Amino acid sequence: MNASTIYVALFLYFIVGTIIARYARRKMGRGINDFFLAGRTLGGIVAALTYSATTYSAFMLIGLAGFTYIGGVGALGFELIYLSGLILVAFFGPRFWLAGKRYNYLTPTELLGDRYQSKAVSAVTAIASVVFLIPYSAVQLTGIGALVEGISGGAVPFLAGVFVAAAIAVFWTWTGGLRAVAWTDSLQGAVMLIVATASVFFVVYRGFGGFGLMFTQLETEYPSWLTVPGPGFFNIHAFIGLTLPWFFFSLSNPQVSQRLFMPRSLNQMRIMVMGFLIFGFIYTLVSIFWGFSARLLLPDLEVADAATPALLGLDLIPTAIALLVMLGISAAAISTVNSIILTLSSMITRDVFKNLGGKTDENRELLVGRFFVPLFTMVILVFATLRLDLIAALSVASSAGLLVMVPALVGAFFWKRGTPAAVLASVITGGIAATVLQYTGYYPLGLWPGVWSGLIATAMFIGVSYFTSPPREKAEEFIGYLQGELDKKKII
Amino acid sequence: MKELRLFWSILFTAMILAAFIVPYTPLLRNLTSFHGSFLFWNIFAIIVIICIGIITARWRNFDER
Repeated sequence: MNASTIYVALFLYFIVGTIIARYARRKMGRGINDFFLAGRTLGGIVAALTYSATTYSAFMLIGLAGFTYIGGVGALGFELIYLSGLILVAFFGPRFWLAGKRYNYLTPTELLGDRYQSKAVSAVTAIASVVFLIPYSAVQLTGIGALVEGISGGAVPFLAGVFVAAAIAVFWTWTGGLRAVAWTDSLQGAVMLIVATASVFFVVYRGFGGFGLMFTQLETEYPSWLTVPGPGFFNIHAFIGLTLPWFFFSLSNPQVSQRLFMPRSLNQMRIMVMGFLIFGFIYTLVSIFWGFSARLLLPDLEVADAATPALLGLDLIPTAIALLVMLGISAAAISTVNSIILTLSSMITRDVFKNLGGKTDENRELLVGRFFVPLFTMVILVFATLRLDLIAALSVASSAGLLVMVPALVGAFFWKRGTPAAVLASVITGGIAATVLQYTGYYPLGLWPGVWSGLIATAMFIGVSYFTSPPREKAEEFIGYLQGELDKKKII
Repeated sequence: MKELRLFWSILFTAMILAAFIVPYTPLLRNLTSFHGSFLFWNIFAIIVIICIGIITARWRNFDER
């Protein structure tokens, strides 16, 4: 594919998204809740699409297809168990939403700080989120850079792809805050799903004659790819190590849990949850079929992540569709990055800046929040161009690192005995453990960093809570209020 | 509500554990076909989606605008 085609496609994409973002800006109110939460008024469909586009990054069609290519059906189990993590939203979603409305929380880390009556809890959990999500975002940008470089045969340089993606992400976010992010995410989510699904039909029907025949060929040529551990990649330790932290994604990742504050009603939240589940189920199957198709059609690839770009290079897919798939993958990455940028900006503004004694005037707070949008984009951009080993390690460790928030969140809603000291101890020790284990590659007892960070954070949270003092009054009031509301309305 | 919460918690825990364990048991680890782990995990996900649908259906009574 030549460079000018790619540049024109990205430019048109930018123009369409910008029109949407500017329209969103017209609907935006003036307060900080409007900028970061769309005034808690999102409808269910838009909420479902932004939740999906934020959750599913470039990892799906590149990384998950690659996992399938080298590891077989275990990739499906990994991703569907992750999808089933939405069970947690069935329990925590209404609680987040109710608490957010009553106490006017802007961020999940503000919820933690208020519930545990500790500014340090807010600040430390916000900073931990920055530490793990910046490298994760940087890897999204490098993914786009590598994709456009690969698909153009080097005609579009890696750095051009990275810069263009970052520019699009920051411009839309800056233009209209969360409403622009949510609306452009809706466009991007629709593009991701429709294009990926259509293209997989092209590959499977042109390449094999249909899904049944594809499975017949797999059963004959690569039977072990239909089992676990199968070819070996998904041994039980790897499977648990990968899957466990991601199961808790809907709680542990603030750019996702912050979305539980945004629907305008619980009915709209229901549409969001069910919409996401259907989106996720289809998108997962599509990504797995990409991986299986590549296994059969391109058995000699040296790098698993090349499975999708290599498939796009085959004659099976018309150039126009291949171009749309490239845009779909870029959309997946950009929609994840812009949501993370906005969430991190809100967290640093509310949970760090304000706690350090910043003035509480809302206009000033909003100004600071908006200032962090380009700042975080710059930092992510720099990280993306550095390509340091530590960044890759932190990115991989992000799910394990963010998992350490989960005990504190569960405690906030269900355990009155939890203490702020315990939150700090669990987040700090768990986060350090995740990073060190990931960076050194040392897996004690064969268990992966995500398992260790989860165990350490849980043990620290429970253990330290028994030796320190909880904020009893707040715990009673907070949990008591929620319990009363939930019981009244027969919500589990 | 406590009983209901306990019921769903136990059911979901059992389902998640099954999703981790069953494909690694001899029953499925030797079944090299579409009807093995592929079908199992798909059915698992569909059941989970239906269960979440049942739980969240109650939220409709709680519409605040």
